[in-house]
Amino acid sequence: MLEELLIFTRGGLILWSSCRALGAAALKGSPIDALIRSCLLEERSGDASFSQDNYALKWTFHNDLGLVFVAVYQKILHLLYVDDLLAAVRREFAQIYDPKRTAYDQDFTDIFRQLHLEAEARAEEMKKSKQALSSRPLPPAASHKTDPKASGDSRPNAAKKKKKGKDDSDDADYTAKEALPNGNGTFKAQDRVLVLPKQGKENGGPNDNGAFDVSKLQRLRKNDRKNNTGAADNGAKKLTTKPSETKKKGKQDRVWDDKPSNKKLDFTDPADERGDEVTDHMAVNQGESMMDKDDNLSSDSEEDEQEVEDGPPKKKGWFSSMFQSIAGNNVLDKSDLQPALKALKDRLMTKNVAEEIAEKLCESVAASLEGKKLGSFTRISSTVQTAMEEALLRILTPRRSIDILRDVNAAKERGRPYVIVFVGVNGVGKSTNLAKVAYWLLQHNLSVTLAACDTFRSGAVEQLRTHARRLQIPIFEKGYEKDPAVVAREAIQEASRNKSDVVLVDTAGRMQKLADLSAVPTARLIDGILLTKFDTIDDKVGAALSMVYISGAPVMFVGCGQSYTDLKKLNVKSIVKTLLK
Amino acid sequence: MDEWIRQAEVWVGQAESWIRQQPPEQIYIAAAVIALTILVFIAASCLKSSKSNTIVLSGLSGSGKTTLFHQLRDGSSHQGTVTSMEENNDTFVLNSEKERNGKVRPVHIVDVPGHARLKPKLDEVLPKAAGLVFVVDAQDFLSSMQDAAEYLYDTLTKASVVKKKVPVLIFCNKTDKVTAHSKEFIKKQLEKEINKLRESRNAISSADISDEVKLGVPGEAFKFSQCQNKVTVAEGACLTGNVSAVEKFIREYVKA
Repeated sequence: MLEELLIFTRGGLILWSSCRALGAAALKGSPIDALIRSCLLEERSGDASFSQDNYALKWTFHNDLGLVFVAVYQKILHLLYVDDLLAAVRREFAQIYDPKRTAYDQDFTDIFRQLHLEAEARAEEMKKSKQALSSRPLPPAASHKTDPKASGDSRPNAAKKKKKGKDDSDDADYTAKEALPNGNGTFKAQDRVLVLPKQGKENGGPNDNGAFDVSKLQRLRKNDRKNNTGAADNGAKKLTTKPSETKKKGKQDRVWDDKPSNKKLDFTDPADERGDEVTDHMAVNQGESMMDKDDNLSSDSEEDEQEVEDGPPKKKGWFSSMFQSIAGNNVLDKSDLQPALKALKDRLMTKNVAEEIAEKLCESVAASLEGKKLGSFTRISSTVQTAMEEALLRILTPRRSIDILRDVNAAKERGRPYVIVFVGVNGVGKSTNLAKVAYWLLQHNLSVTLAACDTFRSGAVEQLRTHARRLQIPIFEKGYEKDPAVVAREAIQEASRNKSDVVLVDTAGRMQKLADLSAVPTARLIDGILLTKFDTIDDKVGAALSMVYISGAPVMFVGCGQSYTDLKKLNVKSIVKTLLK
Repeated sequence: MDEWIRQAEVWVGQAESWIRQQPPEQIYIAAAVIALTILVFIAASCLKSSKSNTIVLSGLSGSGKTTLFHQLRDGSSHQGTVTSMEENNDTFVLNSEKERNGKVRPVHIVDVPGHARLKPKLDEVLPKAAGLVFVVDAQDFLSSMQDAAEYLYDTLTKASVVKKKVPVLIFCNKTDKVTAHSKEFIKKQLEKEINKLRESRNAISSADISDEVKLGVPGEAFKFSQCQNKVTVAEGACLTGNVSAVEKFIREYVKA
């Protein structure tokens, strides 16, 4: 059941709320505000959905009128008709919207009720037709499906698209039995594919995200303590749970370029500890590819064909498009935006921004521009460029204060030393930059202690000792082969005894568990980023953007040289200019 | 091309001879009329723009700016608000003054989003401001005190605010709630926090400083009365419609 559907302006005023209009119970907490703060303003509006507590949220924009439509429902229910409903609501509301009006209750409530019923009815029909179709999967599936570990995953069970996606190995068995009589070759392919996700999840296979575990960080951010790498592994998941094809999804397929590798990468983001969410997302994206391969799904392919006919965008004549751009009535279409966005994306990638990040950024910008009316005498490329510039500026602007000195003083008042832990991969420059930060703090008359918790690399402690000697600050060390967590804890105790203001902790490049190091019970996330070796990269500043986007943490310092004074603050405007040059 | 040039030359010659034919007084009169019209336009535009009628609402996210905006405009806060992603920008006659007879000058109010990521928007509107209302959440003050002080500090040290002596009203919102703090308390706390900020910011090396103006008197604790532009504190509650302090402030600086 849909908990709430909210319509509000981008300026923040709520225009219509289904809770209030229909007299339902209000939402617990404020998921909408959380959505805005952690997703839409973080340039993640290209994501499919957002979840908070036990609510899941989906949204859509009407960029021309500056309206946002958000649907909230219980996370455990997987409502299919939400996207559909949002699009219908958007259409209807745009017709009755008037910038001067602020009360839409009488008019819109009835319309909404009707739309809701229609959407639910459509979803029911879809479900029934799918049930009819997929009651044909095969014997090989049966043996896999009885795998006990599969309990975590009933999503791959295409046949039973229940509203309550609970884990049901019974379902799997039922479908398998029904399947027996039809020994259809094509479905075999489909089925083998169905099995993969489970294996992928169980094995927690190779993480194809490279050294930096992006999805892990995101899950940590969602306060998930489980060290579950299963959901992160999407490389193996080449599947769909169902050849799902509502008209809406078909449209989605038509619009995007057919880039299978991109779609795979899409899965790494909103990674969720509940496999359900992830598989749902995958289903949406992969629906089309299964469709193309299987010719036997007659009714479905028909639907897809319809979409394909509408597919090739109307090629406007050159003159008429010029004229429209001058007259200013050109409504931005996804197809118009694609070339401009692609060019921008390539430019970002030449500046060393990670491909997935560039992709997500482009999606977010596209979501915010689609359907907007162009002003007169503006070209599409300039509009896209401006929008991208704003988005980049927003991402790089720190979300909270990066005034370290103030935080240190605050900690001083509380009588405890301020601890900064430096983490990072091998060779990135932690020890050098640690010394630079120490120097900077010393310049502001703060007493600093170093803690040598890099007990693994030979020479690390000596290196730190030399820095300490040069800077004339105390260093706490326990030699090599000791547990870094213990060393850190003792260092902090020593520092508070000596009334030291700041403790700088150096760690080894290899993945020592963060959890151990923190003396505080709550797991800490990244609070700030220190970019190193900035002087060596000329204008390839994309790494700054990638880091900030993924972690959500601001860049506090930039290291740009080998001496003690080479430490700067990040100049956001110049970075944005360099990225888009 | 050559043909056109020749044609143009012929026309110019004709125009010249036509002008020569007119009696000189007429030409002088024509020129004088044109000059006069231009002067009148310039004077009118100068006079009009010397008194800007823009008031900027700023403050932390969740302090009640959008609610205040709608109270001023429509007299009610409608169905509530969510975090703003964009500014609210409108020129209107204050709702409480709609019944007044005679000419009431409309006010241009800009409600800038308070979210940290959207801070650059404030820089865009400040140069045109005739007054600034800084909205503070009086109920939830202690937890957001540091951020509010920092935001206020950043605003008060901008060159555009100080040079033009933009008056600032610190509006303590949500005083209808039982746990709200008084405006005197809020004022004192803000002064203390800004004082601390002043010290930590001034300690930074000159290359890092981002504020353009130094606040207060060195050596003395900071007080709002030390600012070059006038800073006042008032309280009210937007949800119940108690916004008379803001309206008074607006009327003071945007003459009717």
